[in-house]
Amino acid sequence: MKENMNLVSAGAAVVRRNKRYIVWFYLLNLAFAHFGASAFSDAAHSILDHSLYADKVLHGFNLGVFMEMLARPEFGALPSATHPAMMFAVVFFVASLVFMPGVLLGYASDHRLPRDEFFRACGRNVWRFVRLFVFFAIIAGVLAGILFGALNALVTAADKTSNERLPFFTQLVGTLIILLVLTVIRIWFDLAQTEVVLRDQPAVRKAVAAGFRKTWRNLGRLLGSYVVIAIVALLVLLVGIWLWHAIVPPSSVLGAFIIGQAMMLLLLAMRFWQRATAVAFYVKEMIEPVLEERVVAAFIAPVVS
Amino acid sequence: MGSRLSVVVCLLVVSLAASAPAQTGAAAGLAVPATTTAINSVTPLSQRVVAYDIDAKYNAKAHSLDATETLTYHNLTGQPLDTFPFHLYLNAFQPTSTWVREGKREATRGQDFEKWDPKSNGADEIKSFEVVGQGDFTNQLQFIHPDDDNKDDRTVVQVHLPKPIPPDGYVQFKIKFHDQFPETLERTGWNRDFVLGGQWFPKVGVWWHSAWNCHQFHAYTEFFADFGVYDVKLTVPQYEVVGASGIEVSSVNNPDGTKTVAYHGEDIHDFAWTASPHYLIYNDIFQSTMGPVKLRIMMQPAHWGQAERHALIAKQTMERFDRWYGPYPYKTLTIVDPDPGSQALGMEYPTFITGGTNWFMPKGLLLPEGVVEHEFGHQYWYGMVATNEFEDAWMDEGINQYSEAKVMDSIFGPSTSVLNLWGITGGERDQDRLFYESVAALDSMAQNGWQYFNYNSYGGITYGKTALILLTLENVIGEDTMRQAMHTYFLRYRFTHPTKEDFLKTIEEVSGKDLRWYFNQAVYGTQVLDYEVLKISSVPVEWYKDDLQEKKGVTEYVDNVWIHRKEDFVMPVDVEIKFDNGDKVREHWEGQDRWVRYAYRKKAKVESVEVDPDHKIYFDRNNFNNSQTEEANGAAARKLANYWTCIGQFFAQMLAWWLV
Repeated sequence: MKENMNLVSAGAAVVRRNKRYIVWFYLLNLAFAHFGASAFSDAAHSILDHSLYADKVLHGFNLGVFMEMLARPEFGALPSATHPAMMFAVVFFVASLVFMPGVLLGYASDHRLPRDEFFRACGRNVWRFVRLFVFFAIIAGVLAGILFGALNALVTAADKTSNERLPFFTQLVGTLIILLVLTVIRIWFDLAQTEVVLRDQPAVRKAVAAGFRKTWRNLGRLLGSYVVIAIVALLVLLVGIWLWHAIVPPSSVLGAFIIGQAMMLLLLAMRFWQRATAVAFYVKEMIEPVLEERVVAAFIAPVVS
Repeated sequence: MGSRLSVVVCLLVVSLAASAPAQTGAAAGLAVPATTTAINSVTPLSQRVVAYDIDAKYNAKAHSLDATETLTYHNLTGQPLDTFPFHLYLNAFQPTSTWVREGKREATRGQDFEKWDPKSNGADEIKSFEVVGQGDFTNQLQFIHPDDDNKDDRTVVQVHLPKPIPPDGYVQFKIKFHDQFPETLERTGWNRDFVLGGQWFPKVGVWWHSAWNCHQFHAYTEFFADFGVYDVKLTVPQYEVVGASGIEVSSVNNPDGTKTVAYHGEDIHDFAWTASPHYLIYNDIFQSTMGPVKLRIMMQPAHWGQAERHALIAKQTMERFDRWYGPYPYKTLTIVDPDPGSQALGMEYPTFITGGTNWFMPKGLLLPEGVVEHEFGHQYWYGMVATNEFEDAWMDEGINQYSEAKVMDSIFGPSTSVLNLWGITGGERDQDRLFYESVAALDSMAQNGWQYFNYNSYGGITYGKTALILLTLENVIGEDTMRQAMHTYFLRYRFTHPTKEDFLKTIEEVSGKDLRWYFNQAVYGTQVLDYEVLKISSVPVEWYKDDLQEKKGVTEYVDNVWIHRKEDFVMPVDVEIKFDNGDKVREHWEGQDRWVRYAYRKKAKVESVEVDPDHKIYFDRNNFNNSQTEEANGAAARKLANYWTCIGQFFAQMLAWWLV
């Protein structure tokens, strides 16, 4: 437990030293989401801006009136509002994939990483990360498919009993277990990504194997750290929603924006905290014995584009 | 010769006997009991036409039932009757029935029958059918299909008697039948070890408007029957907890591990029952103006914590119905919390209703309250005022939906009578508007229930539109007058089968107003109402001057406001115009023309215009265009866009969280 907390604290220290990455990613997240919401926003403005009926969603949130708005022909089909949001979510995912190598290098560095090094790391590792993503998608997809299939069978069986709570709790516990399994896979690939970036490992399969070995040997520590941070993330969400409900007046657009964005920023920080924890673990446990040799190679070797 | 003569005489006697009306009830010793043990009244409340005496044994493993039924029918039609139709509604649960046809076509309640599951099979099979004094007619029963051309539908059966039953005469039918309950697809049947017995026995049709009224079982509508007395004995395994219509008379354990529970109901027109080993019973009493009513609430164990919630809403509803419309005369009300996986939620039977909840039901989500309130309301609008649901569904579901809005709004507030959770709100009227808006022009209220465009249209028009039409009518004639009209309608037509016009004329009579203009459009028509503020214009009177400098309170303007009736429902409406100097003007428009323009000359510009500023009209299809402000206020849209942005951010982060 103490080791877990040390790892979590080490990760937190890394995040504190490199807050700018979170800020940049947050701004990217906000900007993309803003673009994704523009179709919705335009349609809402066209219906609500000159109508007194809009008060029912401004001074409170009347679900019926909101749904009336969505049902208006002038609002358009709902997919025209949801699809851009989904598209920009995918764009954010791609951006994360592209820029994450620079973040990992920055997290491993004991000085502020120059911009050119950041982008060089991104460029050098982009296809490696894509390949890692493909590996991850296959492994996690297959495993999640099997596990969710088994869970569905369990829930169906539970549904046949007269204990009404059983299906729900079966679903809940099963989902938590599946999330834990997926978290293990996520740790595995976080370490593989770290391996790829810090060792400049071009052979992705070797990085995947190395990530697996390290995860397997230190599963308790790593999983404990990730779970602690995930619980903090959940608390951030719950407290944020409670504060939103408790202290923000329904008509305060600014108040809702501030608290909503604070939540989103902190939520993003939690994931970066996990990444930083993985990097801290990697640097401490794996790089140290060969630190001089490898770091020199990684940082000084000329980059061949 | 002598022998031939005797044969002729014999044939003559037989022939005369066959063609002569059957004996009257008094001569045969038949009667419909005039007992009053199940009601808080010393005299019968209805004209009792039928007396059912049923002895049924339920097989919990096979979900089947064997029973004998003795039906005594009192011919109060004023004419001889030689034909009797009976509902056999469990036969609807067969792949060739009209109900399944309709379900497959409409995906009723989510059932589109992609594949027929044998567990969905239901049957109501008559083993023997005897007419006392006339013989056995088992082989002469004929399935009929009065509503469609489906020869395979077996939900209505008819018997023709050689001896007509004279006016005021009685006839007694002795029927042995076997039921196979379906796994609950809709309303009746079993789920796991739970069963709800609805529409489970052969039930005679109603002689109405000089003809038999006995419709097939349909996707949306199923109720219309005569009042009478029910004595039902149910034999079930001893571990079952049983509930049923009427009062429990006795419960006797049998040596074979079963028990026989006897129920007695009076002045009711149907009988339903339920059994499950898991029910927990919560008892309470409601004091109606006619006497105490025993509330028996049968809860699922996982919902026990909500028993008080059920009792409270039941009593609050009963108190309001008692005060507003009239007393509940029965001695019991059984509220069943059915198996959550079943399709038996939210149903009404006389003195017996089913609710609907689940183990996790936050207090701000008023679904259990709404269902209990609604189903209790049916004790009035269906139970006592026994309209023909097949032909006038709006008169029970719709009037009841209107009552639901009144009751729920009075308890929880108009904006929060459905939902009040974490700052998200919703009211009954909002819900009814949502039901109605998407189907507003598809069907009229006054049409047969099975002939609606689809399930959404049936729901939107029958429930939503009727409620909105009556809530709006209340604003036309006044809330007190409307309540008085409803009270009069209830007292005048309880324990009868009123028609549309009975209801509409009662409102006209009590209000003293000719409301045909309204009813013709709202009830009989498919007209849709949509008023809009089309345009606002404020032009300086001296617009032509090059050096004109507009000053608030000084510059004079010609203000014009255009109001437009977009759709075909014509209704008088108020219009309020606000000016930027604080002045307000109220106009009244009859709405006869397609549009109207109001013009003013003032030292003020128009700030906003609102049609129906007191929000008296609930069924305007688009409330957003009912008002227009000169200045845009983007706050509401920004707020929603902010929510949308946050959701988008969260979704994007989760995607990146797991995949990168």
